[in-house]
Amino acid sequence: MTTPGPFLQRLRGLAGLVIGLVIGLVLALTGAAAAAQVLHIRSAQVTPAAGPVLSAGDPRASVALPDDWSRSRPGYAGTVTYRVDFEPFSSLESGDLLALYIAHVCSNLEVFLNGQLVHGGGRMVEPVTHNCNHPQLVPLPTALIRPGTNTLDIRVAGHRLAEVGSHQRDGGLSALAIGPMSALAALHAQRKALQVSAPQAVSATLLLMGGFMFVMGFVNRRESHLAYFGALSVGWALVDTRLWLRSLPMSHSVAEFLLCSMLGFITWAAVQFLMRYAGSRERFVDVAMPVQCALLPLSLVLAGPSRLHLVASFWYAVLALEVLAASLWHLRREWQRRSVWLMGPLLLTVAVAGVIEFAAQWGGTRPLAAHVAALIMPVVFVLVGLRLVQQQGHALNHAEQGKARLEQRVREATAEIERNFRQLSELRVEQVTERERKRIAADLHDDLGAKLLTIVHTSDSERISTLAREALEEMRLSVRGLTGKPVRLADALGDWRAEVVSRLGQAGIDCDWQAPEDLPQRLSSRAYVQTTRILREATSNIIKHSKAMRCDIRCTITDGDMLFVLQDDGEGITAPVAGRLDQGHGLASMKNRAKQLQGQCLVESGAGQGTVIRLTVPLDRAIEGS
Amino acid sequence: MKTILLLEDLPEIRAWLRKLVMQVFPGAVISESARVQDAIELVQAVKFDLALIDLGLPDGSGVDVVTQLRDTQPDAQSVVVTIHDDDEHLFPALQAGAFGYILKEQARELITEQLQRISQGEPPLSPSIAQRVMAYFSAKAKTKPAASAPSNMPNVSLTDRESEVLLRVAKGYTLPEIGVQLGLSRHTIADYVKQIYRKLNVSSRAEAALEAQRMGLFR
Repeated sequence: MTTPGPFLQRLRGLAGLVIGLVIGLVLALTGAAAAAQVLHIRSAQVTPAAGPVLSAGDPRASVALPDDWSRSRPGYAGTVTYRVDFEPFSSLESGDLLALYIAHVCSNLEVFLNGQLVHGGGRMVEPVTHNCNHPQLVPLPTALIRPGTNTLDIRVAGHRLAEVGSHQRDGGLSALAIGPMSALAALHAQRKALQVSAPQAVSATLLLMGGFMFVMGFVNRRESHLAYFGALSVGWALVDTRLWLRSLPMSHSVAEFLLCSMLGFITWAAVQFLMRYAGSRERFVDVAMPVQCALLPLSLVLAGPSRLHLVASFWYAVLALEVLAASLWHLRREWQRRSVWLMGPLLLTVAVAGVIEFAAQWGGTRPLAAHVAALIMPVVFVLVGLRLVQQQGHALNHAEQGKARLEQRVREATAEIERNFRQLSELRVEQVTERERKRIAADLHDDLGAKLLTIVHTSDSERISTLAREALEEMRLSVRGLTGKPVRLADALGDWRAEVVSRLGQAGIDCDWQAPEDLPQRLSSRAYVQTTRILREATSNIIKHSKAMRCDIRCTITDGDMLFVLQDDGEGITAPVAGRLDQGHGLASMKNRAKQLQGQCLVESGAGQGTVIRLTVPLDRAIEGS
Repeated sequence: MKTILLLEDLPEIRAWLRKLVMQVFPGAVISESARVQDAIELVQAVKFDLALIDLGLPDGSGVDVVTQLRDTQPDAQSVVVTIHDDDEHLFPALQAGAFGYILKEQARELITEQLQRISQGEPPLSPSIAQRVMAYFSAKAKTKPAASAPSNMPNVSLTDRESEVLLRVAKGYTLPEIGVQLGLSRHTIADYVKQIYRKLNVSSRAEAALEAQRMGLFR
């Protein structure tokens, strides 16, 4: 019970509506009774006779109405005939009937007007029809009414208090009212609605709702309080049938026995519901409640039908105290856990209704408040049931949302796993490829490399030695292509500078190298190696052929091109010599290598003018992967 | 008179190297070996001044011999003679304590000169190797505060001067050029390079020892 939602607001409104209706009903009933012009009869001649109509010789006694048998004739069971004399109404409107209204008679009655049977409530012998909660309206036929004094004989069949579970079911007759049919019919209709129709309706509701809740709780064992509440509702609906169901296919004592026994089960359900709903479970209660359910009928059987009322009263007190204790325990626990705004007032209402019911046991005829209290109980159950359904709905909604979230998370996790797996397999392919490359590279170095190296250093022919060295370098180029990582341009420039400058320096040629620093670009290993080879060849040519004293080397990066300019102050290359150089001294191979990098290598020279070599390497193609 | 270890598996190249070494160091006593195992046994028996060590050998890597020499004969100079010119192969050997490297395919004159330089205490250092060394020390400087370095771990880092020299080497300047730029003699610069080699070795060995200790602790 966190924040009250719109549904909760409606529920509060509903509770208010029900309470308002009950109050309105009570006010209407009291008002209707006072308004009519009715003859109220509060005493009668009475005889406990077997015959339907009093005869002159029957022993008579005067008795005040309402007559409660437990007071006026304790221990008596059977039939009693009440005689009432009345004068016909002079003010009766034409066309209106005269009628007799009996608010309460138990258990059944027959009405005779001037010796003629005018009304029968049902069976007068066992099993006697149960009319205790049914108000009786008897139209008095105009044809039978005499001008003078008229005699009404009311024969009542009833049980002794000792044999019934509740005071409201022992023998007795309320005060009588004789008046116009129109006035009494309204009163009768109102009382009947309160005492019969309303209990019928709520019984049906409780039966449906309780059954539904029971199944819901039974299927979902974690929500066991629902099952207990369902059992409580169904049990209460069954007990309430006694309010409106007139005849049962069993004797009075069996019906009373079953009714009292059922209260044990209802208490079991109520106590367990209150505890489970508060989220706790006591092993003791789990055992004690079923045991009590067995003890109760056992004690009734042992005591016998004649002491039923005594034993039942004892049990009522015990059960009521148990429910009271469970309620207090529930409220205390819920107070700590969550709010008690609904269960608190509802349990209080139930308690008030219970007190009224107990109080009614001591009175004579049943007061109106007792009828209302009996009606309030199932209404409270319906409200609690609605609340439970609402909570269940919320929980279901919450679970749905949680499930949706979970599904979303599972989808994400699955996608993540698939992604990782893909990356992993890609990585694995890369690793395998890398390992294979390394193996090939190592094989080349160890085998081919060693053999070429042997030729380089053992051949007597300078030409073969040079060729072998070139082959070795070509092999290394291939291996670099296989395994080489991209080289930072800044590092490459460092390597080139170191080699060129130190070689020229050793040859006694002054060298001025200028190149940009802090370059972020990277060169593919192939571009790095090719450029290294070109620069190495160019340096060799300068050292071997130019007779230069000085060499200026400029490296610039413009528009994605790397441009090297090597300018010496040597002899230069004369035209015929150029052709020779091209063939013998690697100018062609320099140009070829540059072409492979999508660049170019230009040689400008004239006799006595030195030589300028312009090497252009496009960086965007040379960067990685070319 | 120098004692020299020559570890090379190819007989022709070994013979060629032997000739070359005899030329550079006349009268040297040369012990030859074609296998790592033989070389390690030789190292245990003979004291060497210089060792020319090939990396890729039939029974293992020459790096093991470099390590063995560094452990047992700290005064001996290990020089890697290899066909691999990439720093990925050379760097581990340098970390193990090699004092320079020579590429086998180079012309005879070049190798001769490099050997002489090395014996005079001026090891070669290429820009790409210098880059690698710089990266190694800067990574170490970054992780140092986080690592729970034990007290016995030597705190090896480059001085500003050494870093300056290293940076210039990486940019492709030759040692004489750097000497001119910093107003120092070529020999002083060479000393810095030697010091850088030594620190690389000391630091790498300490790290390896720490790693071994860690493996031992957590196994």
